[in-house]
Order: sequence, then C-alpha cells, then structure tokens
Amino acid sequence: MLDILLSQLASGLVLGGLYVLIAIGLSIIFGLLGIVNFAHGVFFTLGAYFALTLYQYFGWPSVILSPVAVGAIGMLAERLLIRKLYDKEPLVSLIVTFALALFVEATVRYIWGGIGQPFSSPPLLAGFLIWGPILITKYRFAVFVTTVAVLIALWLFLEHTPFGRILRAGSRDPEMVGLLGINLPKVLTWVFGLGCAISGIAGVLAAPLWTITPAMATNAIMPAFVVVAIGGLGSFAGAVIAGLLVGVVIALTIQFWPEASGAVMYVFMALMLLLRPRGLLGERWERFE
Amino acid sequence: MNVTKLALPRRSLLMGASALAASPLAMPHIARAADPIRIGVLLAKTGNIAAQTEYLANGTFLALEERGNKLMGQPAELVWLDEPTPQAATQNMQKLVEENKVCAILGGSLSSNALAEEAKAAELKIPFICDNAAATEITGKNCNRYTFRLNTPVLVQSRMLAPYALSYGKRWYHITASFAFGQDILRSSRELLKAAGGTEVGSDEVPLNTADFSSFILKIRAAKPDVVVGGLSAGDLSTFLKQWNELGMKGKIPFVEIAIGDTDIWAVGPEAANGTFTKMWYYKNPANPPEEQAFAEAYMKKHGKPAADKAWMGWITAKSLFDTIDTVKSTDTMKIIEGLEAWKFQAGSTSYAYRKFDHQMLVRNLAVTVKEKITDKWDYFDVKATLPENVADLQKVFGSEEEIGCKMG
Repeated sequence: MLDILLSQLASGLVLGGLYVLIAIGLSIIFGLLGIVNFAHGVFFTLGAYFALTLYQYFGWPSVILSPVAVGAIGMLAERLLIRKLYDKEPLVSLIVTFALALFVEATVRYIWGGIGQPFSSPPLLAGFLIWGPILITKYRFAVFVTTVAVLIALWLFLEHTPFGRILRAGSRDPEMVGLLGINLPKVLTWVFGLGCAISGIAGVLAAPLWTITPAMATNAIMPAFVVVAIGGLGSFAGAVIAGLLVGVVIALTIQFWPEASGAVMYVFMALMLLLRPRGLLGERWERFE
Repeated sequence: MNVTKLALPRRSLLMGASALAASPLAMPHIARAADPIRIGVLLAKTGNIAAQTEYLANGTFLALEERGNKLMGQPAELVWLDEPTPQAATQNMQKLVEENKVCAILGGSLSSNALAEEAKAAELKIPFICDNAAATEITGKNCNRYTFRLNTPVLVQSRMLAPYALSYGKRWYHITASFAFGQDILRSSRELLKAAGGTEVGSDEVPLNTADFSSFILKIRAAKPDVVVGGLSAGDLSTFLKQWNELGMKGKIPFVEIAIGDTDIWAVGPEAANGTFTKMWYYKNPANPPEEQAFAEAYMKKHGKPAADKAWMGWITAKSLFDTIDTVKSTDTMKIIEGLEAWKFQAGSTSYAYRKFDHQMLVRNLAVTVKEKITDKWDYFDVKATLPENVADLQKVFGSEEEIGCKMG
C-alpha cells in the first residue's frame, strides 16, 4: 500500500505543479491590476495550441516560443481591453474577461477546429523513473522540474530585480509608484503579459498529457481559482503551497474515494475560507479592503 | 387630355389602401405559409462533447442540403441552439418551440441532457429524435410517445462487447464516468460479468472533465485485472487513453469500451491509441452500402475530411425525420410521430426503422480494434465484426417489450 501511496503523492505533486503555474499568473494579475481575470484559462489553451503548431512546423525545441507568443497576445489584450477596466467595478471586469474567454475559445475553434488534437511527449522523455516504491514517468518528472525552475526564476525576478521591486511596490501603492516617475501603465502591460505567459507555460507542459481541445481551459481555470482562494489572493508563496496541496489531496482522494475527487478541492476551499477567509498566506491589502 | 375621374371618394381610397397595407398583420396565417419549415437542432456548442456535436451537426445539415434545403417542396431551415446543461437545454427546447416555431427537434448529445429533453418534449408535445445519447432509460422506462432514438442503448452495446472483454479473462476493472452514461455502463457491465461468473477487481467512477487520470491508472496497475472495461465519454476517453499509454499500460492490460467516436480516437494520436470498442458506423467499413458510401463521399467533398461516425449519426437521424415529413406531407406533431413509426430506409441489405413499442432504431453495431500500425491519420480501426452477426437476432439483442419496460401510454 505504501508504494502506491507514494506514487500517488508524486502524481499529485505533478498535477499540483501545473495548477500552481496557472494560478500564479492569476494571482500576480489580481495582485497588481486588481482584475479577476476570467480569461486566464484561455491563455493556458493558447499555450497548448501554439506548442502543437510550433512542434508540427519546427520541431520540439521551438515549443519554447509558445509562452512568449502567449505573453505577447496577453499584452495586446491588456492594451486593447483590460486597461479600460482598471477603474471599473470588479463585476465589469468579470463579465468582460468572461466574454474575452468565449471569444478566444471560439477563435481557437475556428482556426484549429473543434476536435481534439493528438500530441505526445518528446521521445527523449518516454519511459519511467523508479525510485524504490515510487513510480513516475520521465515526462511527468520533467514537468515537475520545469515547474520548480519557473517558480524559482519568477521568485528571483520579483524579489531581486528592480522591475520586480516596482511590481511589488505598484501592487501595494500604485499612486506612489506613479508619483516617483515610473510609467505604471507600461508596467501593468508587462505584468499582464507575464501572467499570461506563465499560464502559457502550463499549457505547453500539459499539452502532451491532456487532450488539446478548445474547451481545455475549463479543466484549468476552476482549479486555478480554487488554488488562489486557498493560498490567498495575490500571495506567491500561498499559491505554491495551495497548488501542491490541492494536487496531493485530489490524488489521495482518487485512491480512497474516487467519486469525490472532483469535489474535494471545493470542500477544501470552503473549509479554508471558513477558517481563514484571506486564505493560507493572504494578507490585508488596503486597496481591496 | 382626358382624365378619368375617380369613382371612389379620396377618403375611401386612402382607407382602402391603408387596410390593404395592414392586411398581413390581420392575416398572419397567410404570411406564415411563406415561412420556411423550421426544424430545431439541440446540440452542445461548447465543452468536451463539442468535438462530437460538430460532426453530428454537419451530418444533419448535409441531410437537408441533399434535398435542396426543402421539405414538402417548401424552403426548410435548421435552427441550432446550445445544450450546455440539462436545465439550459430544456429552456432552449422551449425557445425552439415557442419562439422559433419548429415542428420537430433533433439532438441530445449527452445522456444527462437527453433524459431531461425527452421529458420536456412530452410536455411541449413536440417530436424529439435523439441522435447521440445512449442511456438505456431513454427508450426504456423513461420512454414517451414523442421521443425517438438512434444510438444503441448502453445495455445492448454492453451485451455486444461482453464476449470480447470475456475473451481476455474474467477479472474486470471498471472505470466509468460519474453521470448517466457511465453509471448505465457500470450497471450493465456488472450484470453481464456476474452472469459470466467473473469478478470485479476494482471500480472507479470518474468526475466529468477529469484532466489527470494518472492516479486512477496507478490503481488499475496495482489491481492487475485481466481487462479494463471503460465507460468514459468523448474528451475524457481521449485523455485517459493518452495517459494510459504515457504510463506504459498500452499493450499490458487490454482496454475495451462501448460507443467510441472517431473524434475521440483522432484526439488520442497514433502512438497512444489502443483498445477494442463498439461503434455504430465506420467510414472505412468495406460493408457500407452504396447509399452510405455516397454520403461519405459527399461529406468528404464538402468538409475536406472523412465523415466521422457522428456525422453519419446526424445524417441518418435527420434523414428519418425529413423523409417522414415529405411522406406525410405535414408538420403536424401526431402525423410526424406516426410517420416516424412507419419510416423505413433500405440501404443495400441494411434496413433502418424505429421499433414501434419503444421508438428505438434497431441497428447492427461494429466491433472494432485499433490497428497495429496507423499510417492514415483518420483511419484507426479494423472492423472485426458486425453485431449481432445474424440480422435475425437484432430484436432479441435489443430486448423484448417486457425486458425494455417502455410504457408509452
């Protein structure tokens, strides 16, 4: 029994890692822009579709460009649409980003068609890794390593670069940042692009595991919101801990009570909101109080 | 110059002209006679099932185009609304009847939707011809006078597949969707396994839209069954097969499932595809009659890719309705129902008709296995058998009136 539990734990960490990547972009965008981005999932979808197309035309190494392209589209969306929502009520941003999600999904359906697209992991990553009782495929291990690397790079960027410091300061007091002569609208465009690009990375990593369909965002966006709510809106560390916890809880629920595996994360979220309404590491943010 | 004097006073003339101009408002029945005949289409436009419904809709539209978009010699049109959830589907059904004035509705992509829709059809007194949903109850204990169904019920398909599953052994593992379709498969498969003296070594009900099956697959791997009997639908089945291969299970433990769609297997890809399945129709089946070959060619010509089984399902269901309307020369509900009960289509040696006591179309299914080597990105299957092998056994396989439990009243 121990061997299968450990393997389930490893499987849950990989799934949780993907949720973290999707959620972290959502959390960053909310933290700095104050936008609850309902369209976040479609950037995950675009990441998968761009990876598929780049692979078909240029081979595996080119898929690295997919998140860059997703980030660029995110920046374009910010300039054309999201920017107009900053001084509006949260409900307006919810409705507009929901409409954006429907528009992008319909566009994907128009360009790539409605049926699922086949896409497998690279041959280099075929096969298993077995460490004692733990069994994991090479590709899933690579997904986990990539997730950790992206998170470390993002943390270093936010904590130890001037741009990261501007982002963190802007999320707390945008007016003061503006008074210091920093072009905040430009910063916001880059932040939105960054959040979308991270979601795009999750899409690239998930593409060989999940079925690539225009509706694949529905499997991503709800767990992302749950992770952000559990971890605390705007909290980087909270999203990481919550994402991994959600992945592990789902995997262990499948082992013991599979029928409940779809609902368990919502129960987890409800409990967390009852016990700590701001989430695991959520702080008091003056802007949103 | 001679000017003929008006015989009518100017005021009377103006009143007469006004009355003439307003006459279409006063006589709506005259205006309606020129309206096209409208048929409702109720199929999901988004979600995981949308990959299948795109083909169902394509087949439906093609069936009308083959008739020059005319029924009874009058222009006809299809009005397609979404069915995102059972509740929204019944609301759209009401809209089709009350606002769009359709005379019949085609659709029902998921069993959970179709079960709600058939009850609504009875309430609205509108013919509903279900093309995709397979839950046994639709033409079983939930049947009604207004509902007809093409897809072979789950129980019947399970009976057809059982010998293939049993050929691998009697220790089965079930992995089924936790909604009407999957629960029906689980119930049917357990009955058949019990009758065969087999053992269920494990069973998992999977939430709809599950993205990661690795934890389920680890459980199956540990249970070491002789065969896995699946009951997953559309995109979930594709994801499962993809991850089944990724976790090295392809070729280790056989996988069987009823009612696979071509779109499901196309999404899996040649490296990962495997298994034995039942399905209603296959575009590469050498036994397809000329009428169906012509349909497949017309589909290919229009869409530039092969007709998936769902396209044929949309086409044959729509054809049954359009043939009926042309035959009875009426859009009256009861005339359409009686016409559908009497409808027959002979394609080569295959005869299609709805059974009168439950409105279920009796169709032989195919047993297919994924090819060892896939060289054509559309052609994944070898047809192993047409089931039941003897046409005379169709009634028996679909069950008698007593077994079905359909009471239309």
